[in-house]
Amino acid sequence: MQEYSVVGKGLPRVDGILKATGEAKYTVDLVLPGMLYGRILRSPHSHAKILNIDTRKAEALPGVKAVITGKEIGPVRFGCIDTPRYPADQCPLAIDKVRYIGEEVVAVAAIDKDTADEALELIGVDYEELPAVFDPEEATKEGAPKIHEIIIPTTTTAWEDFGVARKARPYEVVNNISNSALIEYGDVEQGFKESDYIREDRFVIPSNAHVSMEPRGALARFDSSGKLEFWSTHMGYEHPRYWLAKVLGMPISKVRVLKAYVGGAFGDSAWTYPFQFLAAFLSRKAGKPVKITLSREEVSMVTRLDHRMIINGKIGVKRDGKITAYHVKVIQDVGAYRGSSPTTLYLFHSFHDPLYRTPNLKYEAMGVYTNKLVTGPRRGNGIQQHSFAFESQLDIVAEHLGIDPLEIRLKNFRKQGDVLANGDRLDSYGLPECLVKAAESIGWKEKKGNGKKVALGIGTSGMFSGAPNYPFGSAATVKVNPDGTVTLFTGGTDFGQGHDTVMSQIAAEELGVRMEDIILVSGDSETCPYDIGNWLSAGVYTSGQAVKRAAADAKGQILSYAAEALGKESDNLDIKDGYIFLRSNPEIKLTSFSDILKYGIQKHNGDPILGKGFAKCVPEVEFWGGAYKGTASLSRGRGRFTDAYSYASAIAEVEVDKETGKVKINEITVAADSGYDINPLNVQGQLESQAVMGMGDVLFEEILFENGKVLNPTLGDYRIPGPLDISKITTISVQTNEPKGPFGAKEVGEGARAAVWAAVSNAVCGAIGTRIHTLPMTPERILEAIKKKGISSD
Amino acid sequence: MKQIIQLKVNGQEYEVRVEPWKTLVDVIREDLGLTGTKEACSTGECGACTVLVNGKPTNSCLVLAVEAQHKDILTIEGLSQGGKLNQLQEAFIKYGAIQCGFCTPGMLLTTKALLDRNPQPTELEIKEGISGNLCRCTGYVKIIEAISAVVKNRL
Repeated sequence: MQEYSVVGKGLPRVDGILKATGEAKYTVDLVLPGMLYGRILRSPHSHAKILNIDTRKAEALPGVKAVITGKEIGPVRFGCIDTPRYPADQCPLAIDKVRYIGEEVVAVAAIDKDTADEALELIGVDYEELPAVFDPEEATKEGAPKIHEIIIPTTTTAWEDFGVARKARPYEVVNNISNSALIEYGDVEQGFKESDYIREDRFVIPSNAHVSMEPRGALARFDSSGKLEFWSTHMGYEHPRYWLAKVLGMPISKVRVLKAYVGGAFGDSAWTYPFQFLAAFLSRKAGKPVKITLSREEVSMVTRLDHRMIINGKIGVKRDGKITAYHVKVIQDVGAYRGSSPTTLYLFHSFHDPLYRTPNLKYEAMGVYTNKLVTGPRRGNGIQQHSFAFESQLDIVAEHLGIDPLEIRLKNFRKQGDVLANGDRLDSYGLPECLVKAAESIGWKEKKGNGKKVALGIGTSGMFSGAPNYPFGSAATVKVNPDGTVTLFTGGTDFGQGHDTVMSQIAAEELGVRMEDIILVSGDSETCPYDIGNWLSAGVYTSGQAVKRAAADAKGQILSYAAEALGKESDNLDIKDGYIFLRSNPEIKLTSFSDILKYGIQKHNGDPILGKGFAKCVPEVEFWGGAYKGTASLSRGRGRFTDAYSYASAIAEVEVDKETGKVKINEITVAADSGYDINPLNVQGQLESQAVMGMGDVLFEEILFENGKVLNPTLGDYRIPGPLDISKITTISVQTNEPKGPFGAKEVGEGARAAVWAAVSNAVCGAIGTRIHTLPMTPERILEAIKKKGISSD
Repeated sequence: MKQIIQLKVNGQEYEVRVEPWKTLVDVIREDLGLTGTKEACSTGECGACTVLVNGKPTNSCLVLAVEAQHKDILTIEGLSQGGKLNQLQEAFIKYGAIQCGFCTPGMLLTTKALLDRNPQPTELEIKEGISGNLCRCTGYVKIIEAISAVVKNRL
């Protein structure tokens, strides 16, 4: 492999000093002159008609500067999904009806937090309670309470705005079904006929929460020209900017999203929340900056949760363990609004197909509305639910057939170069290597075996690197400065994953300058080019490719002037550490960036060196053209989805105390195919993070509901892993050098969590010698399973 | 209702007029403008708002500002001296112990107090020492590595 100077090195993060000294400003830290504090009155009911809202007393309270109701804003809808088939379904404030506890009803801005809180208490809302439904299977039955009737689009979709000739249609909600998916290939019935063993299981996965450490917040200011400036906890400015413009009814160029550091995200801010629009509405009405910061309790009660799913899986295998058929039915409890469900339910399937060769497959899924908190992506977006269910069944099947769990996986893995049913090709495929290396590292051969007090469990997962989200892609620009430094403009957002550092490394490497010569400008929609943002795992692969191309463009311009100035062929020149040299004589520095800029001034009328680059994860033309022209549909699994899948395998070693049901994790090993580690220190950090997060998800994290109300909103009641919960964690990077990735890199920040889900749950089930089909695997559930099986404590 | 109180923060004397029920974290952030101290849960469960009060790690969301009068308060802004980073800050940066950075100020101050009272903690003592500080990004591995590097003088 080629030797690089800047990429491939575990350099410290570029924002490390600012964060270590407390200088980095997060949204919650920002204060503007004259700033007001916004608060939101929320529904106390799961399902109720709003009969009347009386805000007169609140408006009369001294210090209150603006009060807004849903009637005033009107029925303008927003959503994660807003397509011709599935129009956006949520409004910033409820108008006629509330659909979950915590839904936004009235927004208030006042001179301080106490006055705003007092104003909320003065608002009178008359509700007429309606029957509510909390169970997704109950919700689809005839006679169940109707949560939505017909969703009528109020704005054009982004597809239409950017030239897709399909208009949004009203969506009539029948039996509370929000959306559905059906993906089929081969003949699943025939596949079962050909199998020697068939196994069916039902898995139930409840909600768990992101718990980003920074409470979510937004700060909005309108200047006197009517331009909105906006700071918030988000994962990429393009989405909030687009939706603020749409919902507030203003040109997109009048919305500027500025950079604030973001204290974690994990998917919780992939798209907008009502509070973000409300900060802007309040600011416009009051004529002053308005900040809304959610309390921790509010964050837990009203920000989106990881997907709740009921998964019925039926798998057919030959005696040797080869999969012949897989029929899986998923019911997703989306909550009161659709959230990301149409994408999520596609992804559930798309996380199966690139891993295991399954000749006959039928996948049926539906998202169902309930009167509960809305769900959304959380580090994986459906992948972890799939891994838990499918990998549990693989272990069950392996045990029945007497096959090593490692062998059954190796036997069914795909091969590099495979083309999936949707046309995606696996140019890099490091999954088998991940599994083998993880097994070697933890000592699988020596330690394996079920029913022992100490047991090992395996899990695998796959993830894409960037996905289509029409019309968004990524772009970057670079500017060479007279002192030889380079300013990089990238639209990405760093919420901890290391975007700013990795993009700087890519630009420095491509352009041939030192890391310290890169000046990074990121996260400002006015100065940076458009960028989809750091979700759908688009960071390194898509934004990184755009940055690399921008740097290459600038380099081409520099070398062209250098060739002209030096009287050499530009093909014979190259750049290192900011100096241009002859490839045949790299020791001699011929000229510098400063000299090239001077040359541009002297001979080319001041032509500056400005590079630009752009990238999309899959060309739109492939999505909409070719074999899929006119028929492409995520819900049908037709159409290209990504250019590169990444993979992970995890193995966990656990001990279960059969008296108490307590689990002790001895070790978690995670091996990931990241393509190429642009920053190995960052990659390790991402994998360790996912090992610990996945362990918490499997063992104790669950948001508990009672009649639609979150019962455990504080960090005392909802436990996340602490320092004493962690065990030995080993990470392994498998480098497959993805041909289309920047320097061979692809996704590494979210997929491995799913492999850990499967590994830890399989290890726990191995240790107790029976299966648990519901997460999390709490001591109570473990004891119950042991009792059911009738195992006496050893 | 408001009363004037004196606070000594990072060696500097401040006089502020605040409500008697205002928490120390709110006064530090809002009245003194020292926003390096973070507030994440407001109920003393996450440790993000940790400051050192007379050298002792304290959840500043659980303390009233009036109670902190006449005590030495150290916030993250006072950890580096004369523009030079404290070696814990250097270690956190070098070893990748910072991701989103929101827990970092509290984690650093808790760690400083730990090493001040026990300069040679074992790995378990490090974990116990920081067990009141939650981090959702790193999985703690690199935080423990960074602290161990300082302990073993291997920076």
